[in-house]
Amino acid sequence: MTKLWIAVSLVFLCALTGLAQSETTVIDQSGRSVTIPLPVEILVSVHGIGTYYVYALGAGDRLAIAYYIGVKTLSSASESMLRWEPRLAEILSYGDPNIEEMVASGAQLVIADGSQHEAVAEQLRDLGIPVILYRAETPEELKEAVVLTAAFLGSGAQAQADAFIADYDRMVNAIATDLESLAENERARVLFVGTSLTKVISGEMYQTHLIEGAGGISVTRELFGSWNEVNLEQILLWDPEIIIIPPYGLIQPADILDNPDWQSLNAVQNHRVYRMPRIIAPMDTPVPESLLGIAWLARTFYPDHVSFNLAEEIVGFYANYYQFTLTDEELARMTGQ
Amino acid sequence: MIRKDRSVPWILVLLPVSAFILALFLGRYGIHILDTVRVLLGLDGPSDVFRALILRVRLPRVLAAACVGANLAVVGAAFQGLFRNPLVDSRILGVSSGAAFGAALALLFTSQGMIVQTSAFIFALVAIALVMLVGVRFGSSTLVLVIGGILVGALFNSLLGLIKYVADPLSTLPAITYWLLGSLNATQWSDLPPLLTITGVGLPFFALLRWRLNLLTVSDTEAMAMGIRVRLIRTVIVAVGTLLVAASVALAGTIGWIGLVIPHVARVWVGPDYGRLIPASAALGAATLILLDTLARTAMPSEIPLGVLTGLIGVPAFFILFLRFLRTRGEAQ
Repeated sequence: MTKLWIAVSLVFLCALTGLAQSETTVIDQSGRSVTIPLPVEILVSVHGIGTYYVYALGAGDRLAIAYYIGVKTLSSASESMLRWEPRLAEILSYGDPNIEEMVASGAQLVIADGSQHEAVAEQLRDLGIPVILYRAETPEELKEAVVLTAAFLGSGAQAQADAFIADYDRMVNAIATDLESLAENERARVLFVGTSLTKVISGEMYQTHLIEGAGGISVTRELFGSWNEVNLEQILLWDPEIIIIPPYGLIQPADILDNPDWQSLNAVQNHRVYRMPRIIAPMDTPVPESLLGIAWLARTFYPDHVSFNLAEEIVGFYANYYQFTLTDEELARMTGQ
Repeated sequence: MIRKDRSVPWILVLLPVSAFILALFLGRYGIHILDTVRVLLGLDGPSDVFRALILRVRLPRVLAAACVGANLAVVGAAFQGLFRNPLVDSRILGVSSGAAFGAALALLFTSQGMIVQTSAFIFALVAIALVMLVGVRFGSSTLVLVIGGILVGALFNSLLGLIKYVADPLSTLPAITYWLLGSLNATQWSDLPPLLTITGVGLPFFALLRWRLNLLTVSDTEAMAMGIRVRLIRTVIVAVGTLLVAASVALAGTIGWIGLVIPHVARVWVGPDYGRLIPASAALGAATLILLDTLARTAMPSEIPLGVLTGLIGVPAFFILFLRFLRTRGEAQ
């Protein structure tokens, strides 16, 4: 009889737990209140950055359709990426989101870009599919986005989100501690160019936060908006000590180092022009991998000052957040050794 | 009425030359006036950086601005007479759309300036070839050419939209967008030979053709009665005008308003006679684009797209001209 009561109580508790967990309400990064039925087993991501939040929290296998920043077709995906996500051919999508395709996928939730998918979100809500809109352009907003994602992916995801934030803060604090003896005039003055030699970041872009997190000073921090086109005179005026090229586009360090018009720059004379490496997502965008972006930048700016082991950080990140083991060649590419 | 003010030719020379010299002294990088003079005169003293900036960065850019401004304005003036339409500019025949498509197509695969320019130039010529094909099939009347230009322009605009849709938003799409806004930021000496050659041939061609241009502003029948081979002359003008526009757009991107507004300003200044209108348009176009490009590269740390500036200046200028036109007709207070 006692066993029977215990069984009945357990069923009752489970039912209560089930009711309590049947839905959750969150405020997304567009400030909208979104009620999401739980559990979310089938996800669609039309946000090439948001997709990586899902992977970092261990729920990549729930994606039925996914956008990946900078990847339009299988042919533009790297070998590492194909090895990391064997289902890529099946779930990769790109372009304007197709409402009917998303509905047909059985999506229980869609994650989208707050800067361009408001209208799509309205349509999907009318069809009964909740949409989470992301807008992350600072480290704090990145952490907020990861926590937001964890809220609908279950309790395991919450622990993973906490671990990620702790790792992010640990890295930034470690760099700050290593560099605290450096005076302001000893900080690296950095120019972050884009997909052409004269396209540079603004002070409002995530890359500026990465440079600052890595202890550097972005010479373009006074600019506003998105990518800015500047001229050579302005670059000579800034005279950066280090030039960073993003891990996409066609620009290579040799394009700058061999350019006769750039020879008077401090960065060129000291051969301090670097292209960021890339394994899966571009580390200069607000994806979880940007944690490694900060580490890579700090090691590049101050190889003699930082005390963390970059290789260990890289191996640990991919193992913990992407369940991915790098080859020796991939690790060498990331560490530059 | 054609004005006979003899001071005009001197101002025509002075205006672009003054703008040219002024532009060489201005830039984001502070270079003392005396150092600039020393560099320009080839004297010792200024650092290598100063020399590189003035001779390799500013000089080719200012020269390009002068050529592009003159070309767009002269072709606009010629086309306004040829098509007997004051609202026409150098974009009427779809050439700019063809060039934009060519540039965008090249930018999908490379950021090499020479390849982008070559592709823009080739597709500008493809666009005009298609318009001419329509002309050959249906008669080279102005109406057929305009309709052909609209169709070809629309076709290339659609193809451009397709390219923008498939372009990588991280890399190629911003490059395409920026190119479409127009800029001379990337201009190098190696970019200039095609533009200088075509400008050197095309502008004198229009100056030599001035009286025929005057006759083409009347009806085809009247022009033929005065011994003009209308179809042949029209085709040659369109071909040479296209070369000037293609060479300009290939280097600078799509820059609006110069080809529309400058000829009207020049008409106010020197009258409708093409003998004066062509050099006045060239001088005003060159000076205007030199000054706007100087503003584009010096006003802020980041470059201001040239097409944005020409639009900001062109719209009020055109509106003032329109008010003047209404006042002349007694339709405005």
